[in-house]
Amino acid sequence: MAKALRIKFQPPLAITLLILGFFVFLPMLSAFEYSIRTPLTGGYGWTHYIWAVTEEDFLHYILRSMWLAGVTVLITLFVLVPTMTWLHLSNSKVRGLIDGLSLLPLVIPVVAFAVGAQISFPEFVQNTVLELPFLYFVLALPYAYRSLDIGLNSIPLKTITEAARSAGANWLRTITSVIIPVIRGSVMATIALTFALSLGEYTLTVLLHWDTFPTWVTYVAQDNILGAIAISMMSLIIPFLILTVITLFVPERTIQGRK
Amino acid sequence: MTSQVIEGGAPSRGRAFLTSFMKNILPAAPLLLIVGFFFLFPITRLIYVSFLSNDNTFTIDNFKTAIQEPYRTGFINSIKIGVFSAAIAAFPGALAAYFIETRGSSKLRRTIAVMSGVLANTGGVPLAFMFYAALGIQGYLTKALKYLGWDLYSGTFSLGSFVGLLIVYLYFQLPLMVIVFSPAIVSLRREWSEAARNLGASQFNYWIRIGIPLLFPSFIASFLLLFASGFSAYATANALTVGNLPLTPLQIGGLLDGNVSAAQLNLGKALGVVMIVISACAVIPYLAIQRRSAKWQKR
Repeated sequence: MAKALRIKFQPPLAITLLILGFFVFLPMLSAFEYSIRTPLTGGYGWTHYIWAVTEEDFLHYILRSMWLAGVTVLITLFVLVPTMTWLHLSNSKVRGLIDGLSLLPLVIPVVAFAVGAQISFPEFVQNTVLELPFLYFVLALPYAYRSLDIGLNSIPLKTITEAARSAGANWLRTITSVIIPVIRGSVMATIALTFALSLGEYTLTVLLHWDTFPTWVTYVAQDNILGAIAISMMSLIIPFLILTVITLFVPERTIQGRK
Repeated sequence: MTSQVIEGGAPSRGRAFLTSFMKNILPAAPLLLIVGFFFLFPITRLIYVSFLSNDNTFTIDNFKTAIQEPYRTGFINSIKIGVFSAAIAAFPGALAAYFIETRGSSKLRRTIAVMSGVLANTGGVPLAFMFYAALGIQGYLTKALKYLGWDLYSGTFSLGSFVGLLIVYLYFQLPLMVIVFSPAIVSLRREWSEAARNLGASQFNYWIRIGIPLLFPSFIASFLLLFASGFSAYATANALTVGNLPLTPLQIGGLLDGNVSAAQLNLGKALGVVMIVISACAVIPYLAIQRRSAKWQKR
């Protein structure tokens, strides 16, 4: 029955997808058409993409954005995951506090956060680009927290931990080789989300006067507009590919474990 | 482990405090330190500094200036664009989420989830390019509409105008609506509609009496979150407008960059605090509703 329903053609769904697809892809494809124009020969080609990729700054900025996003993910994995596991296990009094704190960044507009960051941090913090992963971590916290919370709620955490502990695993090993694999669905979702957010963050980065891949696009637009459009297209496609790869790794069961 | 052993004995008061501290707070310390230093500290300092005059004495003058022109118009425009973009995106987004979640295959749902995640985060120059290419003066849609007899640019329309910006904002607001509203739809249990049908309810009755009342709080909550997102968006507005449309995030950015100077050094901070207050008015009810509906959404 369920199978028959799924295969059956769904007019409302088809119409929805058609309208959404039109709205989403029309601007995207229009920009794509611009990015493959070659004004000199009047035809089409990958000139601007080749130009962008061979720019020295391209590799510099994309690597920089990647490693900043990587550090943000590491902070999430090494700080947030163990802390949340512990919170779920211990019924500590601080759980309520951290629950509330983790949602607070949603309340603060990024522009206001940037102003606060600029006037507060001591110079040694403001002088290193390493401040960005911590700030990105804060921006991603509400989403990361919720996604991990769902994962941890959906498993018999106490039983699993006790089993691992009585089999002789220490806390670190319990977390890394038992708990994280069990909730890998929500851990992967959290990684994907944190990575994508860090990779595309613009407002905070530019207001704190740092240069990353997203801010570089703005800079390039000033002298090579078609090249900048090509880079913009890549800045859309790269996170999309990364996210697709990450979600493909996740077995379906864990994503829909709650249903 | 150690703490459990100690607990078994009869520790002195000092040691009891220490063990309770180690058990209850210490493991959370790294997270609390990061959030404290990189989030609470800057926000507290922002609020504190917004009450300082140029001579570092206490004053509320920054706030008095912040609610006067041109900042007043900035707030009105920002609130307007937040409300309109949320209002326009909310219903179609909710409907799309409903059809995708209830009728789509699991593969389709996962693809849409990934795409919405990417699209809800688009903004700034890349988004501006896409809309210039589609709806700019030389854009494809503009040309197509002109061919059909509707000249978009015959009036005052431009992508940097209020209406132009509103259309562009929908590009990330719609996917955001799909993301935040989908969980509510997923948790509508099939049994409920079947039970209603068995008791003789029509499809219409089911929606009026059960479906809509259950989904309505989540719908309002999603609307509020969308408002906050549109209200505080910076990158896209910065890429599309050329100073013609006063918006608070842009005004703050201008003050922060030093591109715009104000007599009061801390005016930008006061504008930031007012933004936080307005955003809180939307996000806090959103969180409260979410928490309430999480009770029945849990399975």
